[in-house]
Amino acid sequence: MKFYVCIKQVPDVDAPIQIKNGDLMQDTDRMVLNAYDASAVEEALVLTEEHGGEVEVVLVGPDKAKETIRKALAMGADKATHITTEDDVDYDSAVYANILATFFKDKEYDVISCGKQSQDTDAGLAGGMIAQHLDLPYATNAVGLSIEDDNLIAKRQGDSGQEIIELPQPCLVTCSNDMNEPRIPSLKGIMQSKRKPMETTALSDMNLDESALSAKTKVTGYMEKPEREPGQKFEGEPDELAQKVANLLDEEENVI
Amino acid sequence: MASNSFNIDDPFQFESELSEDDRMIMETARDYAQSKLEPRALKGNQEEHFDPAIATEMGDLGLLGSYLPPEYGGVDASQTAYGLIAREVERVDSGYRSFMSVQSSLVMFPIFKFGTDEQKERFLPKLATGELIGCFGLTEPDHGSDPGSMSTTAVKTDGGWILNGAKMWITNSPIADVGIVWAKAKENQDDEGEIRGFIVTKDMDGYSAPATKHKMSLRASETGEMVFEDVFVPDENAFPDIRGLKGPFTCLNSARYGIAWGTVGAAEFCYQKAREYVLDRKQFGYPIGANQLPQTKLANMLTDITQMQLLAWRLGKLKDEGRSHHSMVSLAKRNNCGTALEIARIARDMHGANGITGEYRVIHHVMNLESVNTYEGTYDIHGLILGREITDIQAFVPRGNDMPE
Repeated sequence: MKFYVCIKQVPDVDAPIQIKNGDLMQDTDRMVLNAYDASAVEEALVLTEEHGGEVEVVLVGPDKAKETIRKALAMGADKATHITTEDDVDYDSAVYANILATFFKDKEYDVISCGKQSQDTDAGLAGGMIAQHLDLPYATNAVGLSIEDDNLIAKRQGDSGQEIIELPQPCLVTCSNDMNEPRIPSLKGIMQSKRKPMETTALSDMNLDESALSAKTKVTGYMEKPEREPGQKFEGEPDELAQKVANLLDEEENVI
Repeated sequence: MASNSFNIDDPFQFESELSEDDRMIMETARDYAQSKLEPRALKGNQEEHFDPAIATEMGDLGLLGSYLPPEYGGVDASQTAYGLIAREVERVDSGYRSFMSVQSSLVMFPIFKFGTDEQKERFLPKLATGELIGCFGLTEPDHGSDPGSMSTTAVKTDGGWILNGAKMWITNSPIADVGIVWAKAKENQDDEGEIRGFIVTKDMDGYSAPATKHKMSLRASETGEMVFEDVFVPDENAFPDIRGLKGPFTCLNSARYGIAWGTVGAAEFCYQKAREYVLDRKQFGYPIGANQLPQTKLANMLTDITQMQLLAWRLGKLKDEGRSHHSMVSLAKRNNCGTALEIARIARDMHGANGITGEYRVIHHVMNLESVNTYEGTYDIHGLILGREITDIQAFVPRGNDMPE
């Protein structure tokens, strides 16, 4: 089976990120593979190890994002396509979906997968948009994948139980990071990744019109998260306290 | 991003100078250290425990002997990459980094550098996977900074050597399958002898490696003795050509270089924890980080860390270009250990009473770095190495004083 995994390079959320004058300062120079995409790569590797096939990763991003492609190759992906953009593009989910859907138009595949969202914006939109463009059956936020009789079985986690969805192939699925623990590439894998095939296509050669490449949304500012209100502390006898808390939950918070 | 920004972890952006391979190796080491070592570190310290599975985990990822060629289990990684691995592992605990340093630089490296082809094939692949654990014996109870005066002897006999003596403060020794031991090799008892290296294995008769208990530092790694009572070591386990202190010092130089990097990780961790703490902790209605004393402490830490980072990074580059000198290693090891220890102590102080508990993990670094500042050439001895380099006058042996016998 042929797996395409869409991956993205994002700023390392463990590095210090500062907000100054409404701008996001993420010049830490630590860019990493989006953790949700890493789970998608891991699952594709597990499934192709079991059923045979090939995993190809696709990344839309600037030149320096090649390192992130190498990480996926070092994990075990067989090949890669890098759709190169300028360094300072400001694309929203719709633009990424337009680019990737155009890329997939003439490709053959059984499954396209990606993270359920990416850690830079947490929008969680690109996967569904690509599926719509390509008119593919799709499922989001999968916590487990398996293959049965040429169908992809996606397990989704809800608040009160699990949902099992059968998708005829070709299909698209977005992956939760609860799905697995992505393997850490070994040093050997890192060195071998240099010799794996990586095709580079300039975005400008893909003939997308200007409207497909203009963001439909605009981020107008960034703010620190608000500080949490301090909690209330009550003292007294257990009976009275229980009554007081119950009243509060009932009358003020309206949760009972 | 309109204007340039200031990275409060790496102000002079040394990481942006790293090659792609080196950055990827750093990331693997960081992922491993944070996901697999950090959860073990508190227990390791509280209970004086080193989980031997760490050896094979590191081996699987290729973190042991990374700079050796592929036929011996390495990946020809750069010296910079080796240093970056040390930094990520020591960010968690110097004890884990000590394990990695000893295995890589003090066991695999000497076998690779001084061993016969047969010795390399016999030991290196299994040391690289972590299937075998190694240790390195140079220091003795009465011979620390002055290893040339060692008492351990190897006397020639039919087909091999008879070893007698004891080595002390040996990282990994209680769990080691293989030991590199340096002894005065003598043709007969009266011979003055010269230092040679031998490979001992744990099954040899007369060899024991009792653990050193009640350490207050490096508790997450094993330390012990190596005791030799008429231990027969066959000729095929002796390094064929290397003679004198050059042998052990070549290995130590490699390990010391890794320590110069490792301590960067420990210092960065302590600084980051202190930064986090003073911004979270409120007293008198404000975060304590709003006060001048905590702020200037953080400023001093970051200034020192920047110097440590740049020293380590530059030394790695010089090593990769084949331009390093052992006194550069002394300078970097001495500076980075001493500075990291100072930073860890201040970070502990900034945590107030909370800094006393293991939960915040800073006091472990304070205690660990006391050892790191002492082992592999003490702070002062490296000062004397540099002093001799600068003045061309050795000051190891005090002169002009007739000491009583």
